[in-house]
Amino acid sequence: MTRLLDVENLTLQFDTDEGRITAVDDVSFTLDQGKVMGLVGESGSGKSVTAKSLMRLNAGNAAYGEQTRATLHLDSGSVDIMGLRNASELKIVRGGAISMIFQEPMASFAPAITIGKQMVEQLLIHTDMSPKAARELSIEMLARVGISDAAKRFGQYAFELSGGMRQRAMIAMALSTRPRLLIADEPTTALDVTIQAQVIDLMKDLVAEFGMAIIFITHDLGVIAQTADHVAVMYLGHIVERGPVREVIRTPAHPYTKGLLAALPHLDDLDAPLVPVAGDIPSPLERPGGCVFHTRCPVAIEGRCDRVVPSFVDLDAEHHVACHLFAMNEVGA
Amino acid sequence: MTDATDTATDAKLDQKRKEAYFTASQGQLIWARFRRNKSAMTGAIVLLVLVFSGLFAPFLTPYAPTIAGRDKSYENGPPQIPKFWDENGFSRVPFVCTPKRERSIKTNFRWVTTIDCNERRYLTFLPKGDRYTLFGMKFERHLFGVDKGKIHLFGTDFNGKDIFSRTFHAINTSLAVGTIGVLIAFVMALIIGGVAGFYGGWLDSVLQMITDAIRTVPAIPLFMALAAFIPDTWSSEMRFFFISTILGLIGWPTLARRVRTHLLSERNQEYVLAARLCGASARHIIRRHLLPSFTSYIIVDLVISFPYMVLSETALSFIGLGLKDPVNSLGVMLQNVTKADVLLNYQWYFIPVIFFITLVLAFVFVGDGLRDAADPYSEHSK
Amino acid sequence: MLQFTQFVIVRAIMAMITLIIVSFIVFSLMELVPGDCAERYLAFKNTQGSQISVADIEVERQRLGLDKPFITRWVHWITHAFEGEFGESCILRLNISRLLGQKFWISLGICLTSLALAYAIALPVGIISATSNNKVLNNSLRLVSYLGLALPNFLLALMVMLFSTVVYGNSLTGLFSPEFRDSAWSWPRVVDFLSHAWLPIFILGWSATAFAIQTVRALMSDEIGKLYVTAARARGVTGRRLLWRYPARHALGPIINSLGFDLNRIFNELPVVALILTLTEAGSLLIEALARSNDQQLAGAIIFLLTASIVVLNFFTDVLLALTDPRVRHSIMG
Repeated sequence: MTRLLDVENLTLQFDTDEGRITAVDDVSFTLDQGKVMGLVGESGSGKSVTAKSLMRLNAGNAAYGEQTRATLHLDSGSVDIMGLRNASELKIVRGGAISMIFQEPMASFAPAITIGKQMVEQLLIHTDMSPKAARELSIEMLARVGISDAAKRFGQYAFELSGGMRQRAMIAMALSTRPRLLIADEPTTALDVTIQAQVIDLMKDLVAEFGMAIIFITHDLGVIAQTADHVAVMYLGHIVERGPVREVIRTPAHPYTKGLLAALPHLDDLDAPLVPVAGDIPSPLERPGGCVFHTRCPVAIEGRCDRVVPSFVDLDAEHHVACHLFAMNEVGA
Repeated sequence: MTDATDTATDAKLDQKRKEAYFTASQGQLIWARFRRNKSAMTGAIVLLVLVFSGLFAPFLTPYAPTIAGRDKSYENGPPQIPKFWDENGFSRVPFVCTPKRERSIKTNFRWVTTIDCNERRYLTFLPKGDRYTLFGMKFERHLFGVDKGKIHLFGTDFNGKDIFSRTFHAINTSLAVGTIGVLIAFVMALIIGGVAGFYGGWLDSVLQMITDAIRTVPAIPLFMALAAFIPDTWSSEMRFFFISTILGLIGWPTLARRVRTHLLSERNQEYVLAARLCGASARHIIRRHLLPSFTSYIIVDLVISFPYMVLSETALSFIGLGLKDPVNSLGVMLQNVTKADVLLNYQWYFIPVIFFITLVLAFVFVGDGLRDAADPYSEHSK
Repeated sequence: MLQFTQFVIVRAIMAMITLIIVSFIVFSLMELVPGDCAERYLAFKNTQGSQISVADIEVERQRLGLDKPFITRWVHWITHAFEGEFGESCILRLNISRLLGQKFWISLGICLTSLALAYAIALPVGIISATSNNKVLNNSLRLVSYLGLALPNFLLALMVMLFSTVVYGNSLTGLFSPEFRDSAWSWPRVVDFLSHAWLPIFILGWSATAFAIQTVRALMSDEIGKLYVTAARARGVTGRRLLWRYPARHALGPIINSLGFDLNRIFNELPVVALILTLTEAGSLLIEALARSNDQQLAGAIIFLLTASIVVLNFFTDVLLALTDPRVRHSIMG
C-alpha cells in the first residue's frame, strides 16, 4: 500500500473581529492510495476546514500553525502543500492532483455558464489537451458517471439538470483531471436516500476504476459504514478517534464516538427513545481546556480530563484513540 | 484561594454578559453594533448638533431671519469675524470694526464701504434682541450680539438679512419639511405596500402596475408640476405643508415596493404558518410577527430617504416653485445665487451650502451605519 | 425563437400599458390647473385691450375642443402623443413639437452619455475594489461615493460656476456659442456643442458614477462570497479569469436591471442643472414652462417624453437581460 498523503500537526486559526478562533488543533492522519477515509463529526467540528486546508482553500484570514506539515506523494515526487506559494504552484492541489466536490451541486456550478464550458476550462488549465480533445473527454466522463444523453447535457446549464444529475456532473468534472485524491464535502447530505445510494455506488466504482483515494466528509455514520475503509472522528477541531471503519463502529473506544453511535436509532427496537449526546458543542471562542470533550463527557475524570490534553493511545495497529481512560489503563491503575 | 474566587467572579461576570447578550432586545443589539461604527457615530453626533442648532436657532442666532431683522446699513455685506486684536490694541472681549457706508457724488453715487476700526462694536452675551417664540413660549434673549449696531458672522444678503441667522433657521425648516414628507411617505407606503404584500393576488398586481408607473416618472419634474399648482394666495404655512405633502406623495412608491416585497416573501415563511396554526388573527400576525421583522429595514430606508427629501425641497425652492419668503430654507437662500454679480462679488452667499452638505453627509453616514447595524447577516467586509 | 418573440411582444405590451397609465397621470395634472386654455387665451387677449365676453370664451372653447369630456380629450391627446404631436401650447400658441424641436433629443443625448460614462468608470473600479483588500483604495472609494450621494448635482453645478467665475471670469454656461445657436448641424457645430456639453455631462455623471460604483461593489461582494466561486478556485481557476468570468459575469444581470432607474435619477437632476448652466434644452424649458409661464401643455409633453424614454429603456434592458441571462431565457422558453 503506497502512502498518498501525510498530514502532521495541522493547526489552523482564523483571525476574526471576535478574536483568534482555533478551527483545527493538531490534527494528524495518513491516507494510502485507493483508500476511502471518512471524516466524521458534528457541524463545527472542523472537518471541512481540515479538508480545505489540503487545497489551501481557506479564507485570507486563515493562519496555519508553524508545525503544520502536509505532504502529497505523487508519481512525479512529493509535494509540500504548505510550502506552495503562488497560484501556478497551487494549481497542483487545486483541480490537479486533488479535486473537491461540494454539498450543494446547484450552488457549485456557475449559473450562467454551461456545464461543458466549466469542465473544459478545468481540463485546459491542468492538461495540454486541445479544446476539442477536452470536449470529447468531458462528454465521455459525463457518460461514465451515468448521465444519459451526455452530449446534450454538455451544453446545458446547471439549473436544467435534476439534483442527482447535477451531483454526477460535479463528480465527472472533478474526476476529469484524474486526481489522486478526491475530497467529498458532504456530497450526499442534500440528496434524498435513493439518489444517495446511486451516488455512493458510483463513487465506489470510480475508486475501483481510477485507483484514487477519497476523503469523505460527513456527519452520517451510516454512509461512512458503507463507503469508507478508515474513519476519523473529529470534535471541535480535534481528532478523538481513528481506525478501520468496522472496528470503530463495532467497538468504539472514545466516549464521543460511543455517544454518536448510541444516538442512532436501533432497527431492532424502534420504540426505544433516542439517546443524544448530552450538552451542546461549545463556541469556538471558548474551547475547553484539557480534553476538548470533557464538558460533555459522561465519564470525564475530574482533575485530569479538564487539564491535560490526551495524546493518542494505540488500541491496536491501526485503531487509535485520544482519551485519558485508555492512557491510564496503559500506564496501570 | 484568591485564585479560585477570582475565577469565580470572572465566570459570574461572563455569565451576566452572556445573559445580557442573549436577552437584549432588537433595539439594544442594533445600538450596540451601531456604536462600534466610528464613522456612523461621528455622523450621529454631527447630526444631533445640527438638529439642536436648528431647533434652538432663534436663541442661538442674534437676529430674526426675516425682513424684520434686516440691517439696512449693511446690505450685501461681507462676513465680519470677531477679533481680539487690531491696530488700536488688544481687547479681552472680542469685537468687530464698524463698517461705514457712504455714497456721494465723489463715488459716483455707488455705495462704498470703509471699515473704521476706531469705532469698535463689542460682543455681548445673552443680550436682549428681537422677540421670538420657541416651543410656544416667548423669549427675548439671544446667545450673543453686539453693543452697537449689528454683527454679521456670515455676511448679509441683498436685503441686509443676516445670513448666519438665516442659515440656522433654514436648517430647521428643511428638517421640518423633510420630517413631514418622510412621515407621509412612510404611512402611505405601509398602507399600500402592506395591502399589496399581504393579500397578494390580483390586488397586488394592480397596485404594482400603478406603483411602478408612478416610480417611472422622474420625481422632480413631477414635483415641479404639482408645486406649480399652488396658488399665490396661499399663506406661507399652507405652502409649507403642501410642499411637504408633495414630497411625501412622491416618495412613497419606492418605500411601498420594499414593504410589499418583504411582506410577500415573509408571509410564506414557516413562522407565519406556525402563528396561524396557533390561531393568531391576521392583525396579530402583522403586528407582532411581520412588522418587527422589517422594522429595522424600514427605519433605515426612512433615514436614508431623509436627505433626498431635503435636497428635493432645496431644488424646488431654488427654482422658485417651493417655499418662499418669509419661510426660509436653503433653496430660498440660494435663489439669487446664479447672478453674475453674486458669483463675482458676494461669494459668502454660498456659506450655507457647506452646512447643508454636512447635514446631508451626516444623514448618509448615520443611515449607512444603521443599515449595517440592523442587518444581522451583514459581513464585516467593506 | 418563437417563444422569445412572444416574450418581446409581451414586454412591449406591458410597456405600452405603463405609458398609458403615465399619460393618464400627466394629463390629469395638466387638467388640474384652474382655468382652461380658452379662458387663458382670452385673458391674454383681454390684456391686449380687446373686450371679451363669456360668449367669446365659449366659442373659443368649442374651437379648441375643450367642451368634450375628459376621457375623449385624453384619448385624443395620447393617440397624438404617440405620433409626436402634442398640440399647441396654451400660452405661447405655438406647436409644441416644433418648440421642443431638437431640444429633447439633445437632453436625451446628454443624459445617456452621462449614464454610459458613469458605468464606464464604475464597472472596472467597482469590480476591482470589491476584490482588493487595499485599505486606502476602499476608504477613498467610500468617501467618493458618500460625496456623490451628499453633494447633489445642482449644488455641484453651482460650485463649478462659482469657481469658474471667480477664477476664470467665465461662467461656462450654455450649450452653444452664439454663432452656432440656430445654425444647421455641421461638424464645427458638433465640436462646439461638445466643448460646452462636457460640463453638464460631467456634472450629471458625478452622482450617477458614485451610485454606480456602490452598486457594482455591493453586487460583486455578494457574488464573490458564493459557493461557485470557491468551487472554481478549487478547480484551479485563477486571477483575472476567476474574477471576470465568474462573479463579474453574474453581477451583470442586476446592473442591467437597474439602468432604467439610473436614467430616472439622472432625469431628475437634469432640469435644475440645466437651469443653472442655462442650457437650451428640454430640462430648462420644463422649468420655464412650470415656474414662469405656467404652460401646462408644454410641461406635460416634456414630462411624458422623459417618462417614455425611461419606459423604452426598461423595455430594452428587459430584452437584453433575457439575452444574457440563461435563467431568464430558460423560464421564457419553458
